[in-house]
Order: sequence, then structure tokens, then C-alpha cells
Amino acid sequence: MPDKKEDIRIGVFLCHCGSNIAGYLNMEELEEFSKKLPHVTFVQRNLYSCSEGGINEIKKGIKEQNLNRVVVASCTPRTHEPLFRSSCGEAGLNPYLFEMVNIRDQCSWVHMQEKEDGTTKAKDLIRMGVAKAALLEPQEPIMSEVQIRALVIGGGIAGMTATLAFANRGYEVVLVEKEEALGGMLNHLSKLGPTMTDASALAEEKVRAVTGHSKITVFTKAKVTLVQGFIGKYKVDIETESGNKNIDIGVIVVATGGRAFVPEGLYGYDGKRVITQLELEVLLKNGLASAIKNVVMIQCVGSRNEERPYCSRICCQTAVKNAMLIREQNPDAKVSILYRDMQMYGVENEEMFRDSKVKRVRYINYDPANPPEVEPDNVRVYHALLGRDMDLAADLVVLSTPIVAQDDANVVSQLLRVPIDENGFFMEGHVKLKPLDFATSGIFLCGSARFPANIREAVAQGLGAASRASIPLAKGSVVVEPIISVLANEDACRGCGLCVALCPYGALEIQNTEKGRKVHVIDVACKGCGVCAATCYQHALSINSFTDKQIEAQVEAFLN
Amino acid sequence: MLDVGRHPNIELLAYSEVENVEGEAGDFKVTVRRKTRYVEEDKCTGCGACAEKCPTVVPDAFNEGLGDRRAIYSYFAQGIPSTHTIDPDHCRQLNGKKCGICAKTCQAEAINFDKEDRIVELNVGAIIVAAGYDVFDPGRIPEYRYNEIPNVVTAIEFERLLSASGPTGGHMDRPSDRAVVAEIEALEKKVRKSQKALDKLEEKFNEPSAAFYKKFQAGQYQDDEDRQKWADKYAAHLAVIEPLEELKKKAAGFTVAKRLAFIQCVGSRDFRFYPFCSGYCCMHSIKEAMIAHEHEPETTSSIFGMDIRAVGKGFEEYKIRGGNNSNITYVRGRVAEITEGPNNNPIVTYEDTRERKVKSQEFDMVVLATACAPIKGIAALAKTVGVELDKYNFIKTSSLSPVDTTTPGIFVCGCAESPMDVPESVAQASSAAERAAEIAFQPELEKEKAVA
Amino acid sequence: MTKDVLVIGGGIAGMQASLDLGDMGIKVHLVEKLPSIGGKMAQLDKTFPTNDCAI
Repeated sequence: MPDKKEDIRIGVFLCHCGSNIAGYLNMEELEEFSKKLPHVTFVQRNLYSCSEGGINEIKKGIKEQNLNRVVVASCTPRTHEPLFRSSCGEAGLNPYLFEMVNIRDQCSWVHMQEKEDGTTKAKDLIRMGVAKAALLEPQEPIMSEVQIRALVIGGGIAGMTATLAFANRGYEVVLVEKEEALGGMLNHLSKLGPTMTDASALAEEKVRAVTGHSKITVFTKAKVTLVQGFIGKYKVDIETESGNKNIDIGVIVVATGGRAFVPEGLYGYDGKRVITQLELEVLLKNGLASAIKNVVMIQCVGSRNEERPYCSRICCQTAVKNAMLIREQNPDAKVSILYRDMQMYGVENEEMFRDSKVKRVRYINYDPANPPEVEPDNVRVYHALLGRDMDLAADLVVLSTPIVAQDDANVVSQLLRVPIDENGFFMEGHVKLKPLDFATSGIFLCGSARFPANIREAVAQGLGAASRASIPLAKGSVVVEPIISVLANEDACRGCGLCVALCPYGALEIQNTEKGRKVHVIDVACKGCGVCAATCYQHALSINSFTDKQIEAQVEAFLN
Repeated sequence: MLDVGRHPNIELLAYSEVENVEGEAGDFKVTVRRKTRYVEEDKCTGCGACAEKCPTVVPDAFNEGLGDRRAIYSYFAQGIPSTHTIDPDHCRQLNGKKCGICAKTCQAEAINFDKEDRIVELNVGAIIVAAGYDVFDPGRIPEYRYNEIPNVVTAIEFERLLSASGPTGGHMDRPSDRAVVAEIEALEKKVRKSQKALDKLEEKFNEPSAAFYKKFQAGQYQDDEDRQKWADKYAAHLAVIEPLEELKKKAAGFTVAKRLAFIQCVGSRDFRFYPFCSGYCCMHSIKEAMIAHEHEPETTSSIFGMDIRAVGKGFEEYKIRGGNNSNITYVRGRVAEITEGPNNNPIVTYEDTRERKVKSQEFDMVVLATACAPIKGIAALAKTVGVELDKYNFIKTSSLSPVDTTTPGIFVCGCAESPMDVPESVAQASSAAERAAEIAFQPELEKEKAVA
Repeated sequence: MTKDVLVIGGGIAGMQASLDLGDMGIKVHLVEKLPSIGGKMAQLDKTFPTNDCAI
């Protein structure tokens, strides 16, 4: 808080927004009211504060009236706050000495029929804004350098695609794969639907491209053991066959994939006559025994149930594709698919589905309340359309099991301090709008580590994650708004770590200092949400431009 | 949306169309027509005063024609840019009539009826086509009677009815009821007008119209010309009042739609139209049923579909939650026909494949989950840009390079490629950005190489 | 020096592609045929599976 209160000179600009505000509120009254508020030395009404003319008036006010705080009462900060802030900056005033009051959305629009009440409410809001403005302090944007090198964890198709994308953009990439060979799930598949591309050939082609690229360093039979730091400045320990490496990294992509669920104890699974789709892939790759004449596939084995409620997205298309491959290899073989809903979404899948019916793959709907039974020679299923049980001869039963999270997903999650969901898949920043970003800046995800994905989706997501992750690499630095958390009262912090546990962005850590355990804010990772400051029972943490004092001043102004 | 509008590196060319593309990856010359809005973009502040005063009412495309806008308009309230646009097909001034009210109203002096289209030439290294999709016109399916039964609507129309900023303020008022309410309003306006005229006559003759009319009918004043006119006016007034009262009585019984049916695969998985699955419609219907239930807890919904495809992250859980908490019933089967019953209630006839019976059920409203159709004009755009389409008129790609078109340097994302939901569109958009960036950064890479 | 990119269509896909490229420092020209960007998603009231506001 400034020492000399008389130094504070607040200018209040009241926007008419044409008639959007002025048509419903008493602007003269607001002007007179504002003039009498503490520290207010200048009040002006504008037809449109956001127009060129309005902006020039604000700049003129700052210069001619020596204003050192600006309050604009107009529309929502969502639209024009950045404009007003930068205009203050252009006039030589620190942009964070600006406060916006929303008298349009919150007053004139919602109280169109109540001019007097709307005006009274606008007065309250302006009084509160001015009270806060008096306590605002200048802030500077925070900048941090970025190490121009990416780390990709997982060398399946998604990870290799992301790796190549970085390299094609000229960035160094480190690719870490825990298995002996790159390729991931591709190494276990026969042909990929719907184009029937040979999976091994594709894997080989990608592996060749990855290993032959000068910008790419590959570590196989390796794992990440420690990740320290934050966006742009990670220090990553990698355990490799040739010893431990410590590498500086700017951004990280998680492409650890998933694994097929093994249906122990379900439908008589034995790995011989009753197998999984993944095991069928191997048979198809090596050529199916000609003795196999009757195949029954059962969908949703181990998924869409209480234990694992999700639909694994790709098992139906896998079953249809494999059914067609069986018919191709053994044209006499009868193939029936017992399903709950055929999840053949989109153009290509539905096309393959139709095609399979032409190729005489048989589909029978079953009710999970009355599931099929695998018997020694056949599979019995209740056929709803016929209204009776049916026995289907079966010398091979194939169970379509879901993709589940990798066993070490929680290890990776802890290493990177990024969340996994209730099914063990990595959790993106926003299901719809940030599908390939983690909430934590600097870390991204793609492929089946996020959720089961087919080849097209894994490739698209690999490219997409590389796009997202390349943004800080392209800029070379990260700049963040200074409206972030700060340890305002270091002595008060007891290092309890409650805030660290609650921070959704991994922006807090406990450090051992001379004064003992203290929280440290990683400023470039903080998004200013305020969870920590609201949680801290010692009031040690505070959010710039939303300090306790500023908010209390607003509340007090409202109550008076 | 806002981030796009104020991004220093994004030049927004709204209300514009690409007219020509020449060149190759790394060096395309693009001609863009910036259609005139008849509004100066640097002056308009988007305040909307002009639209408030504009006398010409036009059905609002953003609200799927369920609401109105004016001939000068912003596409929607939060639209970016907020610059208003004059619709040249409907503006009176631009059609040779005397008006110009908007120009008189605009305090920013932004209206310019003489403003012409501008041609802009761009030089770009790469192109991303994200032209989107169109909603399938369900009027093409005769058995669903979309054009005949007012309470059969499309999913996107229902979306506008659910929206708090939509034409009903988020109330599920049925279109047939809204038509009655609109008729009542029109008749009331008429009545107010005739009442005004009657008031004058009553004052003049110092007698209530009803009392006078009784006498007139009994034979009095037959040769009084003024009173003759009064009688005519009163008779006409009564002729409006009676149907008005009838309609009002009818409208008093109106409630919001509470029994909803959602019909899946309308135009999709249908050999007559689009054989493909549109992917997002199952989830879209579940969401609409859930939101409808949030608005009105008595709402029950039946979703009729062959398969309910809830294949995304968290989707199956969402579907189950809808069934448990939002009174949603999932019915397996394809709807054969929709007819209209009493009270403008649509009746859905379908085969319950579980019970193997043909059934009919009455609803307050039916929502058609329409297919994701290739956008109108995509063939022309594809020709202009120079990319191939697939057999359905989506932009052709392959599964191993999912955002590359048949032409190097031109990429595609979103529903222009094939039907997909929001998370997939967003992920694919980033993929296309990555591919385009590889070309855009080429000069930098070459510079680096030269230095090395 | 980087080359510019043209994005045709201002719906969610076009907007996201433009933002990614713009954030990388590439100049983007975003062409939309309607008066405002936003596309179909702007017409949606809320979106699955989180039921949050679409705009």
C-alpha cells in the first residue's frame, strides 16, 4: 500500500456503450457520484471507451491529469480489459494500475426495466472498483527462457509421429522407450483397418525415419527416473543401458500408450481356444490354421461394466477388421460377432462395417443382463430378434477386451506431477478444448495414454501434441501475465504443503530454505487461479492484483 | 473465440471468401473477396443501436429461423468481430426504398451504403481448410414429416430452444405453441388498433359501442352514415375478439415440452442419403436430453437408435449418468414413421427389437439427430483451392496422414475432413497446424542450415 | 522469417489451428464467410461431456 495516500490520483471513465449503458442507467448521476469517491481526481463520460476516440481520451487523461490509476466502467473484462491495459501502458502507466468495472452486463443489461436500481448497483460496483484501484500495485510480465529440446516418452506410433514432427521443425528430440524396440502396439498387430496396411511395415518405416534423423536421440530399454523443474527448464534423468543421462529439456510429450486387458477368468479364457483380439492378431500375422472354420467373437469383455465403465472405442473396429481378415485367409470360415452396440463411428469405420456384412460376417446383439456362454464346442447366445437361444459352433472364440492403462501410468503420473483419471488414463487439461495439453504448462499427451485411439487418431494426436508443445520452443521463451500467486508473507508459511497438493497446475513446490520448509511458486507455471491463496490458513500466499487487502477494500466499500 | 479476435498474429477476414488460389506448397497466391458489410469496420463499435432501430425484420439464421433479426445485424451477440453487417437482400435503403434509419442512429457514423467489396491478395506458404459441415435437411425423409409437423425439430434447432440466449430464453416452448402465441400477439395488436378507433367513436357519440350496437341491430340509426361505419368497425372488432379469446383459452393450457423423443441416424447410416455414421449425434442427443431435464425436472426422454455410440473419453459414463439421473430411456430400433396426433403431439412409430413388437408412442416434441453433411459449396471450394474430395464430398485424406490433402501444402481439419466431435476437431486442428508449421518454418530452417 | 498460413473457416477447428500457428509466431490469415467466427459450436448451448458453455 502506498505510503502517501494523497499521491493516488484515480481517473474514472464511464462508457455509454452507445445506448447499451446510457439508455438504461443515469450517467449524469454516476458521474457526479464518481467525482466524490476517495482519490478520484478526474471523471469523464465517453460514448464508447473502447473506440479510438475513447482510448485517446483515456491516454490524454493519464498525461494531462497525471492519473496514476485508471478505472473504466463499461463492459466485461473478457472483451476489453487487454485493450484498456495496453492503452494505459502506451500512455506510460503500468498496465496493472488499471481496474475494470462491468456496468453493462451486470447493470444495464440485467436491469433494463429498473433504471434507479440499476444505477444504484452501478454506483456500488464503481465504488468497489475505485477502492480496489487505490491499492493496486504495478506488476511486470514474467519471462523465462526455454531449452529448445523436447522429450517424448513412449516410442509407439503416436510418440514416433510426435518425435518426427519436432525433428522436421528443426528441434532436438529425445525419445525414451522402455521396450527393446520402438513401435509399441504396432509390433503386435497384423494389418491395420480400414486400409489393411501392414503394421510391421509401417513400424519399420517409422523406426527407420526416427533412428536416421540427426535431430533425434533414441533411448530404448530406458526409462525416465526423475523430472525436476518446469516448462522450458526441465532436468530429466533417464536410466539407459549405457548408464544414466541427465538432459535439459524444454517440453515433454507423454505417449506411453495402453495395453490390452487380459480377461483371466472370463468366458473360459485359456489363450488357446478362447483368446483375445491381440492374440488373434498374432495368429493372423503368421497365417491362420486352415482347421479353423467357426469363429465367434464377443465384444465388451471386461469393459462397459461396473469395474471398467468406459467404452474402449477401438475394439469393435478391430473385431470387424479381424473378422474380414479371417474370411480372407479361410474363406469358408463362419465368423459371428456378438455385440452390445457396434461402435463403428465415422465414415471409414461404418464403411468397413457395411463391407463386412457383404462379406458375410454375422452380427448378433446380446444383452449384458443375459450374456453369451462359452461351451466346449459352441457359444450359446440369446438372440433378441428371434426371441430364443442360439448355439453357434466355435472352434475359436475371440474376446474383444479393452485397452487399459499401462501398469506404470501412475509412476509416470507421479514423476511428471500430472493427473490420471479413474481408469488410469492421463487426464488432459480440458476434455474438449485442450485434449492434448495437460493443465500443467509444458507437458502434453497423445495416443492411447490419453484414451484408446486407432492408427488415424494416434497419428493425428501425435502431430497435434507436437504442435502444442512446439509453441514454447518456437518462441524460445515463456511470458506469463503477472497476475499469479506470490509468497507474500514468507515468515507465515509453515511449509505444510496443503497448497502444493491442491494446485491444479503443478506450480507450487516445497523448498528447504534457511528459514525452514517454505513453499515456492514456479511463476511461469502459475495461472493465478487463487486456489492456494484461498486455502492457506496462514495467509502466506497472495495473488497479485487480487490481494486480501484489495478484496477486503472492495467488500468494505460495498458495505459502506 | 476472443483469443482469435485479439491475437496479434491472426488477421481475421470475416465475411470474406477465397476466390482463387495459385502456386504450390511454400508459395501460394490467394485472392480473397472481402464482402462489403456497408459498415465501416474501424468505426463500428458493435453497440447495436442500429439493429434496435432497423424496421426490417428477417428470420435469424443463427437461431435457425426460430427467432428474428433485423436487416442490419450482428451475427450473434458474442460474435467476433462484433461489427454489424447490412443484409443487402433485405435492407430497404439498398433495395431502392427510402430508409437510412441505421445511418441516422449510428453515433459512430459507421454506416456507409456506398462501401464496396474489396479484393485482398495474400501470399502464404500453406493452407488449412477447416470449412466445417452442414446440418442434413431432414425434410428429405418423407416419413419423418419434418416440414409438416411443427413439433418435429432438428437437434440444432432444439439447441437454440435450450439456449438461454436463444429465441425462447431457454424455455422448451413448442413451435406449435409459439405459433399460437405469435398469432395472439398479432390479433391483440389488431384489437388494440380497432379499440382505439372505437374509443374515439364512443367519445364522439358518448355511448359504449356494445350498447350502441344492440340498438343498431334492433334497427335504429339505419340511415346515419357515421353510425353505419361505427357498426361496421365494431362488427369487425368482434370478429377478431372471438377467435382471439379462443386462442387465449387454448394458450392458457400450454406448458413447456416435457415428453421428448430423440431420433438417431436421421440421414446417417441411411443408404438413401449418407451411409456413414456421423459420430457425434448420439452424444449430442444425450446431452440435449440432459440439459432439457436440467431445465425442467419432469422431462422424460426416449432416445431411439440402432446403436448408441458413446465412444469418446467419459462418453459411456455420461450416457449411463443420463439414464440414471435425467430420465433418459434408450430404445434400440429405427423409427419407421412420425405422425401428428391431437394437440400437435408427434407420434413415433417404431419397432421395439427387444420385444419384437411395433409400437407407437406420443410425445410433446421430437428432435431429429441429423447427419453431418458435407458443407454446401465444398465442391467449388475444393476446386478453387485444388484438393480432391472423397465420394461423399469430404476432403480426401488417408489414415496414415490424417490431415494431408491430395495436394502438398494444403491441409484439412474438423468436419470438412469427416464427421467428428469437438475434442477430435481440436486435436486435428493442432495436427493440421503442425503440418502447416513445418512449411511455414522452412525458411528459418534453411537459414539455420546455411549458417551451420 | 516465416511464411504466412491461410486458414479457411472460423469454426472451432479453424480457430484452434489459427491459435496454434499464431502462438508459434506465424502470421495467420483466417477467412470466414459469415459475419462472425464461431461456427457451429457457437450455436450450441452446452457441449458434452462436461456440459459447460460452448462459447
